[in-house]
Amino acid sequence: MNEMELLAELAQETPLPAPAELDAARARLVAAIATDPGAGRFAAAPQVAAHEPYPSAGQPVEPPRPVVPEPVRDAAKLMYGGAAGTVVQLIILLFYVGDIKAYHLTVGSHPLTTAQLVHLRPLIATLAIAFGLALIALWLWMARAVGRGRNWARILSTVLFGLATLQLTGLDSVAAVFWAMLTWLTGLAAVWELWRPASREFFKSARALRSGPPSQISRP
Amino acid sequence: MRRRRGSAVADDAAIIEGSWREPEQFAVLFDRHAPHIHRYLARRADRQVADDLVAETFLAAFAKRHRYDLGHPDARPWLYGIATNLVNQHRRDEARQYRIRQAAIAEHDVPGHADRVAADVTAQAMRTVLNTALAALPAGDRDVLLLIAWEQLTYQEVSRALAIPVGTVRSRLNRARTKTRQALAGTDAAATYEEITTNE
Repeated sequence: MNEMELLAELAQETPLPAPAELDAARARLVAAIATDPGAGRFAAAPQVAAHEPYPSAGQPVEPPRPVVPEPVRDAAKLMYGGAAGTVVQLIILLFYVGDIKAYHLTVGSHPLTTAQLVHLRPLIATLAIAFGLALIALWLWMARAVGRGRNWARILSTVLFGLATLQLTGLDSVAAVFWAMLTWLTGLAAVWELWRPASREFFKSARALRSGPPSQISRP
Repeated sequence: MRRRRGSAVADDAAIIEGSWREPEQFAVLFDRHAPHIHRYLARRADRQVADDLVAETFLAAFAKRHRYDLGHPDARPWLYGIATNLVNQHRRDEARQYRIRQAAIAEHDVPGHADRVAADVTAQAMRTVLNTALAALPAGDRDVLLLIAWEQLTYQEVSRALAIPVGTVRSRLNRARTKTRQALAGTDAAATYEEITTNE
């Protein structure tokens, strides 16, 4: 007889408890369930919904939130990283705002003349900065929304990543290609994390929790 | 609602997910698993402590239900993990339980045929050694050994229960088995028991 068999034999000495032995533990659990903010929501919701916004003593009931799984947390981190990268790009751009030689603009297939560039410089710089700030805001917005389990943010992030992929063509300098690839790879990793099975479950659960019971959905 | 394949019974993950909106559903999980969790706790501590710890286990599980990974239909490893953490906070009770078992075995009187008596006495001696060996194991090694030997959890389930890699489960089990085997081999009881049971 080896040690595992002997252990199994030792375990036989402890039988399953009689149902009555679990009564006290069950009662404690039931008491905890009864004090949970979500308890009895299904039965009480139709009565309270018409008169007061929240079903407890004037205190808003915070809907339970599932814990953000690691892939979604990683995706959000990547998006914050993307925002940080765009900030760096914007700072570099600000350094070159005054350098007219750094402007590579063409209208049709004709490069703009220096005089035209000097004339348009304030507008170009403003547009570039506004675009950079918008990109940073988008990264941050998406990171925050996916962290809160918003499924539309996951879809929008994927669409934006698709658009960023289209933007990869037509880059004319090594620095531009480097930054674009870095941003694109960050986006790719974030999108991949957002569509992993654990993320799918999280977005599904978050949506189910927000939607609540049918009586709450259909109320006016 | 997610259900077990080929069965009308909802799996644990579906019950936990349902309890996010309807907390009352969590009681189903208690009815399903509490007897086995209680027995595990009673094996490691005494029954009175187990009564208390089984309640603590399910209260902790209820409080943490939103963190449950719904990708795992079976909640047993999760519950065993919580129960193990709780029992490790009651090390004194667990050590006392091993001492009580040793004392009970030593006092046990076995009437009957001489060979049978000899076999029973040596089996009891081995159990005494086993209890001593269990008490001497590092907590992490003991957790792995008992979850596998007593609760029949797989390596993957123990890995989930204790939040350790499967490789660590294997190495801890191997270490715990080696130490227990050595403790048993270090007594004459093992050889005598083998001899008697072989002759029978």
